[in-house]
Amino acid sequence: MAESKELALEIRGLSTGYQDRVVLRGVNWQVPRGTLAAIIGPNGGGKSTLLKTAVGLLKPFSYETLKLLGQSPQAARRRVAYLPQREEVDWGFPISVLEVVLQGRLVRKGWRGRPRREDYAASREALAFFGLEDLAQVQIGALSGGQRQRVFLARALVQEAELILLDEPAAGLDAKAQHELADLLVSLRDADKTIIAATHDLDCLTGCFDQVLALKGEVLAVGTPAEVLTEETLVELFARHFPKVGAGGEVTVHES
Amino acid sequence: MSLELILEPFQYAFMVRAFVGVSLVAIVAAVVGTFVVLKGLAFLGDAIAHTAFTGIAVGLLVGIGIHFSAFFFAVLTALGVVVLTRVSQVKNDTALAILFTGVFALGIVLLSTSPGYVGDLNSLLLGSVLAIQSREIALIGGFALLLLGVLALFLPQFVLVSFDPVGAEAAGFPVVFFQSLLLVLTAAAIVISIQAVGVVLVVALLTTPAAAAGLLTTKLKGQMLLAAVFGMISSLSGLYISYFWGAPPGATVVLVATLLFAVVLVVQRMRGLGGKTW
Repeated sequence: MAESKELALEIRGLSTGYQDRVVLRGVNWQVPRGTLAAIIGPNGGGKSTLLKTAVGLLKPFSYETLKLLGQSPQAARRRVAYLPQREEVDWGFPISVLEVVLQGRLVRKGWRGRPRREDYAASREALAFFGLEDLAQVQIGALSGGQRQRVFLARALVQEAELILLDEPAAGLDAKAQHELADLLVSLRDADKTIIAATHDLDCLTGCFDQVLALKGEVLAVGTPAEVLTEETLVELFARHFPKVGAGGEVTVHES
Repeated sequence: MSLELILEPFQYAFMVRAFVGVSLVAIVAAVVGTFVVLKGLAFLGDAIAHTAFTGIAVGLLVGIGIHFSAFFFAVLTALGVVVLTRVSQVKNDTALAILFTGVFALGIVLLSTSPGYVGDLNSLLLGSVLAIQSREIALIGGFALLLLGVLALFLPQFVLVSFDPVGAEAAGFPVVFFQSLLLVLTAAAIVISIQAVGVVLVVALLTTPAAAAGLLTTKLKGQMLLAAVFGMISSLSGLYISYFWGAPPGATVVLVATLLFAVVLVVQRMRGLGGKTW
């Protein structure tokens, strides 16, 4: 089907969750290639669950269609990069920034993964793209949150991933670092990558993202930021929080 | 100390064998132990040592090779833990403690009630490196080469599954396989180390030199190399002390390793926090 080739992510009738707990029901979502998309919603709303199901880390309960880049999640894996939440990575491990980026090649090679000269070259190039070349030999844990995100994005580039999924990439970043991250995601999108980021931080969503999925156990709304980020949807999403839409269209959520 | 005194232990063939044997296992344990320390698996290492003991007991009583039966029990423990963590998704150190002490107790009962094996019980618990035979050294040497070879061959893979298992699995990398292989290597390192220092102290060979090395470097290969050096120093000086004082060599080796760790810790603190320079 010609249409599904153009889709980076195609989900129809998906129900998923953990063991015997259903987290998401009846999810339909189509993300065209070259899109920068956000998944928003409260904690426990199913953002991570959706991402993990998409990359095959969680087995869905049922679905009509679940395709990444036109393939099954298993078949598409090496063309997909998933950046886990901060806590799932062992930042204290003695590994340098360059070694982390080289892993982008290792996941493609699997068993026989000795790095070659061209792998080093590609990794250094990716580091330079993100302005990290001076940090190549530094232990990863010594970097700031924003720099770590960039290292993982460099790894995704080296992996030649076409679809990049980020789980809470903005967590723990200050406002400046969040904006820098958003700019990088835009530049990756412009380099023909498809980016999907789960976030409960709404800063600068309107400015950067092409598509927003509002998730709270089910899909509450999907569309452009302007279509989704209405006061009505936001109140429904973050019942106990107080969303505010500013004059420039930017949205902030305050704890009540 | 005169040269004669230094060389004195070496006039005995059994001491020479002990030096070679204990150095081999100290190096392997320290290198493999670097991962044990980095991933916080010391408790699992202790559990593996204790179930391996029961494997040896069963091997002795049934009359099959003790290394084989010990390795079988050790690997069963290691892989059992992998399965448990993936299936139950809960912290299971309590379950592990119940299981391994139960299996260990069974081994003690089996050995101590079988006439003629009580001596083996003591040497297994405290080590019997002075009784090590050339054939056993050859076996340990072979295993040591195999372990270090596999570790070197798949080092980038082991690093990946230790650093970012979730991201790696999402990208289709065989994470479970390499995590399991790493634990099998750990189990094998423990089995070949039991004769040197005994069941009770074997986890020290895995963790103490590697932990001391970790205080001094942020490079994985540097930590492994340094751990191996610390392991060597500990085993050689431990054996000397044991020779002149008449204490069990397993205990003196571990004692030196612990002192070495303490010295490194003090030196590192004196150089100031964040004093990792290489």
